[in-house]
Amino acid sequence: MWTISKLTFKEIVSKRIFMITIVMTLIFLALYGTAIYFAGKEGAEVGDGGQGTEAILLQQFVSSQLLGVGLYFSSFITALLAILSSVSTISGEVSSHQIDTWLMRPISRSQFVLGKFMGLAFLMIAYAVCLFFSIILLHQGIGTDWMALNLQPMQLIKAVSVFAIQPFVLIAFGLLLSTRMTTLNAGIVSIMLYGAAFIGGFIEQFGALVEKTSLVNIGIIMSLVFPIDSMYRKMTILLFDTADNPLSLAQGGMFTSISTPGNVMVWYAVLYGVVAVILAIYSFKNRDV
Amino acid sequence: MDVIQTNSLTKTYDGKGGISDVTLSVGEGIVYGFLGPNGSGKSTFVRTLLGLLQPTSGEGYILGEPIGTTKSREQVGYLPELFRYPDWLTGKQLLESHADLCKIPVRQRNKRIEEVIELVGMTGRDNGRISGFSKGMSQRIGLACAILNDPKVIFLDEPTSALDPIGRKDVRDLMVYLRDQGKTVFLNSHLLYEVESVCDHVSIVHQGEMIAQGPWRELMMTEAQVEIVTEGSISAPFPPFITDYQKGKAEEGRTRWVVQLETEKDIPKILHHLSSRHIDVYEVKPINPHLEDVFMHWVNRKKESAYVDNQ
Repeated sequence: MWTISKLTFKEIVSKRIFMITIVMTLIFLALYGTAIYFAGKEGAEVGDGGQGTEAILLQQFVSSQLLGVGLYFSSFITALLAILSSVSTISGEVSSHQIDTWLMRPISRSQFVLGKFMGLAFLMIAYAVCLFFSIILLHQGIGTDWMALNLQPMQLIKAVSVFAIQPFVLIAFGLLLSTRMTTLNAGIVSIMLYGAAFIGGFIEQFGALVEKTSLVNIGIIMSLVFPIDSMYRKMTILLFDTADNPLSLAQGGMFTSISTPGNVMVWYAVLYGVVAVILAIYSFKNRDV
Repeated sequence: MDVIQTNSLTKTYDGKGGISDVTLSVGEGIVYGFLGPNGSGKSTFVRTLLGLLQPTSGEGYILGEPIGTTKSREQVGYLPELFRYPDWLTGKQLLESHADLCKIPVRQRNKRIEEVIELVGMTGRDNGRISGFSKGMSQRIGLACAILNDPKVIFLDEPTSALDPIGRKDVRDLMVYLRDQGKTVFLNSHLLYEVESVCDHVSIVHQGEMIAQGPWRELMMTEAQVEIVTEGSISAPFPPFITDYQKGKAEEGRTRWVVQLETEKDIPKILHHLSSRHIDVYEVKPINPHLEDVFMHWVNRKKESAYVDNQ
């Protein structure tokens, strides 16, 4: 199993798309850092030296919004990379018959699927965690004291843990589709569900703001179908501590949360990923390759 | 002990194609030829034995272990027809990965890798990336993979499809070498000369059915042809075991004949027949049939029996 994990990890790293993603990520971080630097510099000069109520509200709004934007974009590119790398992991090898020489070795199909999952999950979670802390470090370090938010270590640990659930779920789901569908079909299904979860998340936030239960319920149902956006929302709650705060959406804009996914939703997402991996093993166990 | 054994093993795709009802036993230390035209189900059969395809019905065993289990694949090597290896690895890295999967002890790993690289003629080229390999080099590194774990049984599916004449000879020599080492080689091929030159036992498959199997020499004894040089003419009436004859050139009163007999066992009979008719015989030479002829004989025989069944 570890040999398959190792090979999967190395394969993704050796792909050109991964190198392109890393370069684009570095460019994004450089741009983000520049924006944070100037926003912090300009922001400190606005208001009553940062002492008045208006200045504090402005600082909170700009700072949390910029951190939210950075993390939302990080979540988006992590999701895309997780989808693109997982949907082809088995189907691609089946269609090229590359899988034949691996599967004829004395390893079981479940070890093969688990190996693939471990390799992908390790890489993508590592990428997500690095990206998360890069954004936090840039935001807190470059944006001057004016930009810095009061983030406690425990808050960060909890938030990054929930942030990492997103690639975990996406890889498990992509792998499941990859055991039965072609790469193209699995990619389309994953991206459409991701998009639906994204829209469902906004509808839920908007519903919570205007107190429309039906809109909130649509978002919750979408979160149950594909618990990706809800994990991002939960992460912002843990990071900004904005739950049940009527100002939170105004403070954080559309990139933080007002409707709170509970802890049960976190466990649901983890369980969702685990079940997807089990189904992938079951689905691949007896199929012809 | 039978290295490979199947009982009515069938693999069809939605009831069509594939291969049906194959019962065979393959002994130890032989090269077993699985011969048939493209699309006759040879690869399907091997892929079913290796657990890549689920059998529709029947059963099979490799080294006494039921097919589809990890144990049945512990001492097996395989070179697929559609060989494709991760092109981002080097040849050596590919072998190292397979050595990991085969649990070859780390101490023996490098030595074994060097051995197989030398055996397949890839010395000095194994550190290149597979993406830069020609088809022939990929097939050679695939062969190295197939024999890396010193398997007792090696499945080679059209192992010379991408090789030049020298490469083909190398592979034939390798098969003989493996047989001499006591290994069993299961050779899938549509190349008659390849099977003819190395196989001890042969199965002939056609349109998803096994139509004949047995030791190659016995399968060849379908019809016997002899070349006879006589003084004077052979004339009717002919005994029933002569099924056909052709008169060749006549020189200095001696005539050359090609006579078709029912079986090889009829050769002494024809000599007896000619001497009883006081015809002097100067030369009798059995003509070995070509594999093409043997193959077509069994295919036609199968078609005839199917026709009779339908009638």
